[in-house]
Amino acid sequence: MNKILVVDGITKEYPGRTAVSNISFEVLKGSIHGFLGPNGAGKSTTMRMIAGLMPPTSGSMTLFGETIHPEKLALKNMIGLLPENAPLYLDMPVEKYLTLVARLHKVKNVRDKVDKVMSDLNLLEVRKRLIGNLSKGYKQRVGLAQAIVYDAPFLILDEPTNGLDPQSVVELREFIKNLAQDKTILFSTHVLPEVEQLCDQITIIHQGKIRASGDLKEIHRKFRQGLVLKVGVRADETLPDLSELGKYEITHEHIVGQEKQYDLVFEADLDCRTEIGKLVLSRGLHLLTLQVESPELEDIFLHMTELKK
Amino acid sequence: MILLLWKKELESYFTSPLAYVLIGLFSLISGTFFFNLLVTYTDGIQAIPQHLAQEISFVEEVVLRLFANINFLFLIFIPLITMKLFSEEKRLETLDLYWLSPLREWQVVVSKGLAALSLIIAMLFMTVLFPLIIWGVGVRDFSLLGSAYLSVILNACCYISLGLFCSSLSGNQIIAGLLSILGIMFLWMLTWGGHLNSNYLVAEIFSYIGITSHFERIIRGLIGTQDILYYASFVFLFGFLSVKSLGRRNW
Repeated sequence: MNKILVVDGITKEYPGRTAVSNISFEVLKGSIHGFLGPNGAGKSTTMRMIAGLMPPTSGSMTLFGETIHPEKLALKNMIGLLPENAPLYLDMPVEKYLTLVARLHKVKNVRDKVDKVMSDLNLLEVRKRLIGNLSKGYKQRVGLAQAIVYDAPFLILDEPTNGLDPQSVVELREFIKNLAQDKTILFSTHVLPEVEQLCDQITIIHQGKIRASGDLKEIHRKFRQGLVLKVGVRADETLPDLSELGKYEITHEHIVGQEKQYDLVFEADLDCRTEIGKLVLSRGLHLLTLQVESPELEDIFLHMTELKK
Repeated sequence: MILLLWKKELESYFTSPLAYVLIGLFSLISGTFFFNLLVTYTDGIQAIPQHLAQEISFVEEVVLRLFANINFLFLIFIPLITMKLFSEEKRLETLDLYWLSPLREWQVVVSKGLAALSLIIAMLFMTVLFPLIIWGVGVRDFSLLGSAYLSVILNACCYISLGLFCSSLSGNQIIAGLLSILGIMFLWMLTWGGHLNSNYLVAEIFSYIGITSHFERIIRGLIGTQDILYYASFVFLFGFLSVKSLGRRNW
């Protein structure tokens, strides 16, 4: 796949602090790239730099092969940004505002385009209302509408579902998924299940440094620390000795309701579920759970951001 | 693009109460000035012998004084208009909308400046009633009316460009407004400072940098190249500084 965005060794320094330090990552064409990090990790700063709203102290960024620079006016129609605080004129009606944005980007057939975007984002019923009088969910949709009204092929969405009600979140996620059919999206969020649903590529940033970047499945594989087998028997039973199957270690043991669960790690990532099943049943025990545990994105994220002690 | 933004800015003035309050207040205060000047003038010419009364110029006593007062009103009215132009957008981060589009900083500065000037002209338009009233009572001497309007409009251009620059410096409207007021007062004081200085060269320099000497010449119809050059370079300088101030975020 083509690289749409290449961030190469970007550093952003403010007096007395470094917001991001020597970060590098790539965004592939047609992907939804999740940008994860705790508050203050440097996500918004990085996204604003990519959008050309602030300069990096050092390093370079290229988008569609062109170095990002505010003087390159042609690039500005290629990037749609929904920042954390959407740039909304609260004293303007929705339709007028979107028309202004479309005209600023010299969109052809402004009326058709604005109508289509309003229809796609269910804004038609509020088209004449002042943006300042709308609910947070609608304001967020107007913010997203301004980012897509001029059909930019690369979208940067900074926590687009933040603070929305569950129904709006589901609708917006679905909409973002559909957008990815012909656009590339860099997308930051705190909601990790959202990343697993939407993204195929991720970058984890913490304290201004990149902790992991690449294909989500690859990162899962990379951070799987030994193959964990979860075996569950009845709470009043005990797991028999499994040494005949290979050298192993019980990493965790706990009772969940009527079940006693064990996390086992065999040497050389041995997946001996069939043998375990046979052995447990042959001892007349009740096998309630037998599965391979892969680490959740949340575990990887917490591990990466050193929040898990 | 400039036309598009100018229209947007003008609409934002007139969709909020600000424009109506300012126009109403300006009309009320300038109307009161006009009435007082007229009463003082008529009382004055009635109190002295007729051959002396003819020596007192209506234009000098009413028209020019009225426009000098209007210039004074601008000290408050123009900063009230310009203080929010960039500072509010900076606070709300709405300027991002422009910087994400293929607009350049100078286009934003020019369109905001033109919209503010349009509002000032709308305010001044209300004063057109005054000459009509005078015409109605039989006074036909309007010799310096055109230059009087020109002088206050040129001063307004300078105050607007100064106000835009102050607004681009701060995300706080109050600070931007206070800076503009201090800046305009400083411009006036420069000329007064020039009058007080005994050194001819220093006095001339102060007088040229200050706005009052140029205003006094133009209001009397004495429009010289140095005055036009002064106003043009003033507006260009502060327009340029505003562009640079907005461009600080840039590479």
